[in-house]
Amino acid sequence: MKRGEMKDPRKTFGEAVLSQAEVDARIVVLSADSSSGSGLAPFKKRFPERHLEFGIMEQGVIGYASGLATTGKIPFVAAIAPFLTSRPFEMVRNDIGYMRQNVKIVGRSAGLTYSDLGPTHQSIDDTALLRTIPGMVVICPGDPIELVKAVKAVSEHVGPVYLRVGSPAIPVLYGSDEDCPFQIGRGIVMLDGKELTLIGTGAALPRALAAAEALRAEGVGVRLISMPTVKPLDRELLLKAARETGRIVTVEEHYVTGGLGGAVAELLAQERPTPMRMVGVKDRFPPSGPYEDVLRDNGLQPDQIAAVVREFLKA
Amino acid sequence: MAPESRGDIRELERRALAIRRNILRLIKAGKAGHVGGALSMAEVLAALYFRVMRIDPARPDWPERDRLVVSAGHKALVLYAALAARGYFPEELLDTYGALASRLPGHPDMHKLPGVEASTGALGHGLSISGGMALGLRLSGLGSRVFVVMGDGELAEGSNWEAAAAASHHKLDNLVVIVDRNGLQISGPTVEVMTYEPLEERWRSFGWATRRVDGHDIPAILKALGEAPFQKGRPSAIVADTVKSKGFRFAEGKVEYHYWKPPAEEIQQAEADLDEIERTLVG
Repeated sequence: MKRGEMKDPRKTFGEAVLSQAEVDARIVVLSADSSSGSGLAPFKKRFPERHLEFGIMEQGVIGYASGLATTGKIPFVAAIAPFLTSRPFEMVRNDIGYMRQNVKIVGRSAGLTYSDLGPTHQSIDDTALLRTIPGMVVICPGDPIELVKAVKAVSEHVGPVYLRVGSPAIPVLYGSDEDCPFQIGRGIVMLDGKELTLIGTGAALPRALAAAEALRAEGVGVRLISMPTVKPLDRELLLKAARETGRIVTVEEHYVTGGLGGAVAELLAQERPTPMRMVGVKDRFPPSGPYEDVLRDNGLQPDQIAAVVREFLKA
Repeated sequence: MAPESRGDIRELERRALAIRRNILRLIKAGKAGHVGGALSMAEVLAALYFRVMRIDPARPDWPERDRLVVSAGHKALVLYAALAARGYFPEELLDTYGALASRLPGHPDMHKLPGVEASTGALGHGLSISGGMALGLRLSGLGSRVFVVMGDGELAEGSNWEAAAAASHHKLDNLVVIVDRNGLQISGPTVEVMTYEPLEERWRSFGWATRRVDGHDIPAILKALGEAPFQKGRPSAIVADTVKSKGFRFAEGKVEYHYWKPPAEEIQQAEADLDEIERTLVG
């Protein structure tokens, strides 16, 4: 993958799962009439006996995944994000979280990426919900290289994981695999700076990067951190950023309540109170519309992020 | 399974009594509990744990074991009672029921106690978990079976019917449901609160093969469990007609004993009732 190249995250995800499945026979895929839209058609073709179809049955599919995991399988359940998170939340909490089963829930088309389909299909509370579950790892990869590395890491991690994937094409942000030291629970410093730290996660990362580059061109010392793991948070990296830059701005395609913004604020409020701004969806149901317009409506375009930073530095 | 001798039947009746005695022991320790729907399943669990299931209490994680999932997790008392009687853990542990951080919580926790296959409690979860187990066992080439105990009131949870449809779609004939049709739930008779009758027709329409048995008649229970799968390629549902609180005569068929916080005289009455059953089991 080359920096700047645009990749469909669902296709990248499907290829990554298939390549893990080639080396790990325990991996099975569960579809809720959702695997072709999740980039898993090649998996189904390659491993038809390991591709299990459940139809539009999003509560049942979580319980089945849990039961499969008790027999040593590693189930990946992939579907449109709200239908695997807010809809079957009790199944995710009890059957996977409380039962500590090795299931990977993949919410795709997460965030505002189904902008035109409206609030029933947008998924902006999934991180908040799932990170309340003890033992649940929550990962929102911000570029295709992070995504590929995340799929490998979550396959090898023993325990429940929520992996959050968008749907519109996203740019490759790293120059090479080596430039992206992805690890579960670790953030990645993409740009260094001393005045303020901007933290992006998931599909919001490229816009946070664009904002940071614009600000740096103006001479503002912005540090940019990619935070693919929202739970467990990279405590050391956050405290270091708070100590060295004194101001933190989070950026996410999610409610700031309970999302990355909320998670960072919870940690800093207790360990090192630090002024913050949170860019993301506020307490509202966003409108339906073209993706770029809905992002603007929620303050998530690079110029809007940069404006928040400038105002914050004056405050 | 070989035909049952009179002695075999009598032995299982004694096991069912031992399970009921353990249920009372749990209640005495915890001062309260979901007793009605536990007592109604004593014969079914005696048959499963002492005759039908391929299990080894010394190896609770044996991959080839049969599984029992108690989907109606508030039937925890009968599960704990049967596991203790079968030797999964010392019976003294029953006396910790109701204590802080007990290994025997109000609903079963698979990580706390050997032999507990799933952490249930919220209704409408156990059947899909069990379906996943059955599918996983089949994918692994194992011939193990998965048994699921469900409540009749529990059937109102829509998630069960998702699970039931998927089980027949995937032809899980290694999956056997036993519905405890005791006819009562917290608010009253199940047919008045939210009826899913006729139960057998419901299961059949979802692609399951069914049997109906008297849930306190051990030979009938053994026959049904022994014949499952009733049809190749189909999951099996056994509707067991039972009496809620069976064995405590003063409480039988009474809705107020769904959850029981017994006064001392009722404990004595329960003990006397179980002693009376024991006298009928001589010889």
